[in-house]
Amino acid sequence: MSIPNFCGRTRREFLWQAGAGFAGTALSGMLQRDAIRASNVLASDIVAHQNPLTAKEPHFAPKAKNVIFLFMYGGPSHIDTFDYKPAMKGRDNQTIDVKTFGRGGHKNQGRIVEPRWNFHQYGQCGKWVSDLFPHLATCVDDIAFLHSMTADSPIHGSAMLMMNSGKITSGSPCLGSWVNYGLGSVNENLPGFVVMLDPSGGPISGAKNWSSGYMPATFQGTILRSKGAPIIDLNTPEGTTRAMQRELLDALNDVNSAHASTRSDNSELAARINSYELAFKMQQHAPEAVDFSQETAETQKLYGLDQPRTQDFGKRCLLARRLVERGVRFIQLYSGGNHNDANWDAHGDLEKNHNFHAGNTDQPIAGLLKDLKQRGLLKDTLVVWGGEFGRQPTAEYAMGTGRDHNAYGFTMWMAGGGIKGGVSVGTTDELGSAAVDSPFHVKRLHATILNQMGLNPNGLSYYHGGLDQKLVGVEHVEPIGEII
Amino acid sequence: MNRVRKPHLQLLLGFLIFWGAGNVSGQSSDPIDFGRQIQPILAKRCFACHGPDKAEGGLRLNQKESALSKQQSGRQAVVPQHAEQSELLRRVTSGDDGERMPPEGPPLTSAQIEMLRRWIEQGAEWKEHWAFLPPKAFAPPVVKNAAWVTNPIDAFILHKLEQAGLTPAVPADKTSLLRRVTFDLTGLPPTQKEVESFVADDSPGAYEKVVDRLLQSHHYGEQWARHWLDVVRYADTNSFERDGPKPNAWRYRDYVIRAFNSDKPYDRFVREQLAGDELPDGGSDGLIATGFYRLGQWDDEPADRLLALYDGFDDIITTTAQGFLGLTVNCARCHDHKIDPISQQDYYSLLAFFQGVTPNGNPNPNTERPIFEDESARQAYLAAVKVHQERMDNVQASISAIEKDFRERLDTQETPIHPADLDELEYRFYRDTWQKLPDFDNLKPETKGKLEKGFIDISLATRDFSFGFVFTGVLKVPADGEYTFSVDSDDGSRLTIQGQEVVLYDGIHGTGQPHVGKISLRKGRVPIRVDYFQGPTGAKDLIVKWSGPEVEQRLLSVPFESGLRVSEGKNRKKDFKNLIASKGTAILGAEVYGRYTKLLQQLDELKHDKVQAPSALCVTETGPNPPETVVLKRGNPQSHGDVVVPAFLSPLGGGVANIPKPDQSATTSGRRLALANWIASPSNRLTARVIVNRLWQHHFGRGIVRSPNNFGLLGDRPTHPELLDWLAIELMQGSNPGDAWSMKRMHKLIVMSSTYRMSSRAPKLRLNSTKATSNDNDPLSIDPLNQLFWRHDMRRLGAEEVRDSVLAVSGQLNSKMYGPGVYPKISDEVKAGQSNPGSGWGNSSVEEQSRRSVYVHVKRSLVLPILSDFDVADSDTSCAARFTTTQPTQALGMLNGEFLNEQAVQFAKRLRKEAGGDVTQQVSLAYRLALNREPDEAMLRRGLLLIEAMRTKHDLSAEKALEKFCLMTLNLNEFVYLD
Repeated sequence: MSIPNFCGRTRREFLWQAGAGFAGTALSGMLQRDAIRASNVLASDIVAHQNPLTAKEPHFAPKAKNVIFLFMYGGPSHIDTFDYKPAMKGRDNQTIDVKTFGRGGHKNQGRIVEPRWNFHQYGQCGKWVSDLFPHLATCVDDIAFLHSMTADSPIHGSAMLMMNSGKITSGSPCLGSWVNYGLGSVNENLPGFVVMLDPSGGPISGAKNWSSGYMPATFQGTILRSKGAPIIDLNTPEGTTRAMQRELLDALNDVNSAHASTRSDNSELAARINSYELAFKMQQHAPEAVDFSQETAETQKLYGLDQPRTQDFGKRCLLARRLVERGVRFIQLYSGGNHNDANWDAHGDLEKNHNFHAGNTDQPIAGLLKDLKQRGLLKDTLVVWGGEFGRQPTAEYAMGTGRDHNAYGFTMWMAGGGIKGGVSVGTTDELGSAAVDSPFHVKRLHATILNQMGLNPNGLSYYHGGLDQKLVGVEHVEPIGEII
Repeated sequence: MNRVRKPHLQLLLGFLIFWGAGNVSGQSSDPIDFGRQIQPILAKRCFACHGPDKAEGGLRLNQKESALSKQQSGRQAVVPQHAEQSELLRRVTSGDDGERMPPEGPPLTSAQIEMLRRWIEQGAEWKEHWAFLPPKAFAPPVVKNAAWVTNPIDAFILHKLEQAGLTPAVPADKTSLLRRVTFDLTGLPPTQKEVESFVADDSPGAYEKVVDRLLQSHHYGEQWARHWLDVVRYADTNSFERDGPKPNAWRYRDYVIRAFNSDKPYDRFVREQLAGDELPDGGSDGLIATGFYRLGQWDDEPADRLLALYDGFDDIITTTAQGFLGLTVNCARCHDHKIDPISQQDYYSLLAFFQGVTPNGNPNPNTERPIFEDESARQAYLAAVKVHQERMDNVQASISAIEKDFRERLDTQETPIHPADLDELEYRFYRDTWQKLPDFDNLKPETKGKLEKGFIDISLATRDFSFGFVFTGVLKVPADGEYTFSVDSDDGSRLTIQGQEVVLYDGIHGTGQPHVGKISLRKGRVPIRVDYFQGPTGAKDLIVKWSGPEVEQRLLSVPFESGLRVSEGKNRKKDFKNLIASKGTAILGAEVYGRYTKLLQQLDELKHDKVQAPSALCVTETGPNPPETVVLKRGNPQSHGDVVVPAFLSPLGGGVANIPKPDQSATTSGRRLALANWIASPSNRLTARVIVNRLWQHHFGRGIVRSPNNFGLLGDRPTHPELLDWLAIELMQGSNPGDAWSMKRMHKLIVMSSTYRMSSRAPKLRLNSTKATSNDNDPLSIDPLNQLFWRHDMRRLGAEEVRDSVLAVSGQLNSKMYGPGVYPKISDEVKAGQSNPGSGWGNSSVEEQSRRSVYVHVKRSLVLPILSDFDVADSDTSCAARFTTTQPTQALGMLNGEFLNEQAVQFAKRLRKEAGGDVTQQVSLAYRLALNREPDEAMLRRGLLLIEAMRTKHDLSAEKALEKFCLMTLNLNEFVYLD
């Protein structure tokens, strides 16, 4: 593809020739975004400090403006949720030859655990959905199911990194970082990449899952909470009123301005003064964003806020919609945290585990889709659902229904943001042990998300370690055309 | 596309200067620089089809020979001095879409085409990339304003300034200079006393005295170690699911601090990190330094082990090449480097040096080795182990004696389950460590004696491990017939009857799987013998049973509980414990039993307080002969290509490494030492350049090469190539052989230069000027990026400097050096992001929490918020230069965070203590401590006004109001930005 020009040169050439590299004081506005190398994304002004999160033009007209990634941490079982396997019916406990690879290692044989829930057909598209998702089943005509997802690792640590950053090793920026790097943020009073965690804890590897890796910290995810101070250190310390803080900031501004007046060629100083004002505004706007009192009882009910079971995840979903309305680019919600059965990692009792997590999230997610739709937001908002991998058709242990991890084939789904509704693409074999028909690697999913946001997945790059690093890697990756 | 924006006028002007690099006029006769102006065009637009990977039509534009010779088509891409005959030019200018090159993307711009034309006309000189040529000894240029030159550095800088019509900025004022040099060399602000004495010292040597003092300060090593730790991606944990600790990684961090403080020559520093274990005089530092190999991320549960192994090698290659050589060799893992002349063969030949390195592991004995500072430390350790062992033995002997007594007394009170079947039973007791049964008959027993009761009994042992027994006696056989013997033991044992081996159960093992043997015996008395040993660790036991005519499952070994229910295996010990606990007082008496329990407790404590040798996390190899190294096609570990041997990078001269054949008993191959010697050699073209550039970088805010980890074609060109070479040669040669490779000497040269001592202010800052021309030599217009160093760039403090300064100013900084990482408090809100909130983050005392940031435990998945807010290096990959971001989250942390608010309280306390109760004095002192200068009237008044407002408008106490002022002071731009 052609590369945007700057002063008749590519930005790379410009920096090359100008010899500009790492942050000289006057330059860091641009350079902190670009490190040594300018990428295909442009800065607009060289000398003045600029907020790297300033909204930027996409590569082409986007279908979606925001992403809500519903991360079903631990790995939901696809054959018990959306990947209907009637051929398994009546085969419970049969020992079969099947190649699997999970935390228990490579196996060539296993004991079938029949899907534990009944499936019914829903919607105009007639999609088969298990009884785990009675609410979500009513939304299938808005959803595109990807049944042939594959990932590089069936181990939580590396698989989480893969789903969030495209690599099985740590140190690379996450999807939300890439989106903000490419597009900037349209609301400077809120972070552009927001993560909402499960009350039981973060996912494995914690902050690595919202890290900006080799990019500046500007692009890292910010944890937002629906309880207490929504953002860390947002609230003034005990005994400090907002008026007192204003008082302090006024003094700070005065002394800082006097200091800057004899150094006015250094725009970083002004930027830092401004950042305190932004923080002050954020203190006002962020609590407003998480204030549900403006929502009607009907809306709250739609998300399941009236029931103890769904209240928690429902709040995160409702918050996600409110953040979308406020222009937050990338919102990631975790269902499940910590370890083992505190998330979808059903190694022991599959039924208990999935009944619990599906029951907590089914209505809130359906509520979110319906609410986005009725408000006309769904067309601009890309909703993504899935875990870091799926689960095996066979039992992990000699006894019980627990399933081990499966990265050979699993299901994710997308809705809104220019994604076709009521379609299902890709298939796994009759057991759901591996993708057989048009397998979609995680990179394809990432490419699709960037593409819907108006970013060319093979063009959006960041120069690091001597290479033009891309979320989707060196090789050309196509978005999943079948669902666009 | 709508991306072309109106260029900034200043920028364009600045641009012309650098583009021409010294020839501002840009005339057509000016020589074209192949490396800078031509090669990038070829690389970017032509190499895809005519480069290292592909040679369409046989043409490779990355090779001079190919470009300058006739192709099969009969045409020649480049004909020197004849642009009109050069196929290259014809094709890039062709109006025919089918002919024009490159076939994809927009055609070359007219400027690019003009450049190519001029280059060919000028002779098409095919000069190698500057970094691949050896540094040249340039004489410092002659300058007009010779008085400004303090040392040759200044001559190189001033020469370029004069060429551009610029004059250097005035010298920085004394306090700014002191603050700058103190932060640069130590990472901390100067103390009040240091400021006062420097300001008062008018002697010409005042500044030099300061520099010498700072270079002697142990804080120097802490500051500069941190820069190096960024390069080697130092962390104390492994990342991934468990993000487990790397044991003893901190010793590497301490090693680096010591290396800088002791001014270890850089070539030695390189050798120790890459091959300290292979150096004949490596010593313990040599081992610790090789922790370099263990610092990377490591997945203990990889999805693909083979791939993970090569990811590990790649991590080492990447860090080694970028860190020491400034080359992104990593780009050649899957295919030849697209731009630099680094082939896949080069990459795997470099990998071959590391092929024998054992993979990471945790815990893994392969990655840790004991270290001793010298032989006497080793002896002291061995002596301490011996003393400790003797104490344990003594306690065990006392315990055994009491237990024996207890059993005997119990025997007299209770009936055994059956009479003994052994007679004339004797034992011999041995002490040593074995893995298999030794030939006890050739060894000298520790003790021997009789077992009157007639049962085999190992409880006589005077220690719990590393001992052996031989029991000999007579077995009373009641009738003729076949008898079955069962022996269960932990560890090895052998049963011999009438000189015939009946049961052999040798080696280290537990109980539960008795070994059985049969033998026919005649009625009467037959000789029997049992050999037994207990290895260095674990449980101990010996159970011997027999059955046959008139004998049903009777014990030959001691029925421990003497007549009570006899259980076997693991429960015996427990049962005995229960027994002595319930009957001990009654049978032994309260006093003896009390002594017994105390002895047990003592033994437990002794077992726990093992004498541990200090260990280093270090490199180890599989042995003297590493496995073969093959090129992996497309980087795929399953897809083997040619076999390669250790060889040096071809753009730097190449050549197969000459490695002496290692002794077959050697633990390593000697390959890494060969690599280390090549890198640390004065003839290496990059090593010295790369490190002096890093020194320059951290004194001036950017390197002479702005991309310190990339000196290749995609990196930035040096703004002052001659100066870079001069510094490199100066480092290698020293003022005499004694200070060759001395880093402190280079620091001193740099900070003593007039260049370093310039003010950060623009000489004539024209506020509100609408004029944007450069006719009056305004450096801001001519060189807004300060490419030529006409002033000193301001810089924001790094993350550690921000935190350490806050502690220093509040008076809380704990200057203790070295040791395991410390854990400053992290709020629960932040820890909630972990999958196990709080896991892997310890508790340190308040004093320990106040130590310098270089000592903070580096946990890859949990970074101290104040450090991550201020752009601490991401530790997953080598960090060449940190970012300087400005974000609202920094402001939130600095205003509302617990750390800052606590420190503001401490700061206020300090002010009250040192300035007394007078508010003006307090405010004045606060500024002096935080900013190292006398406050001006306005800021003094503003501070007082804030305190006043807090008191009157917000009803705060004097203390609280002062704390708010302190918080404000710690948030000042002047506090975090250096002039």
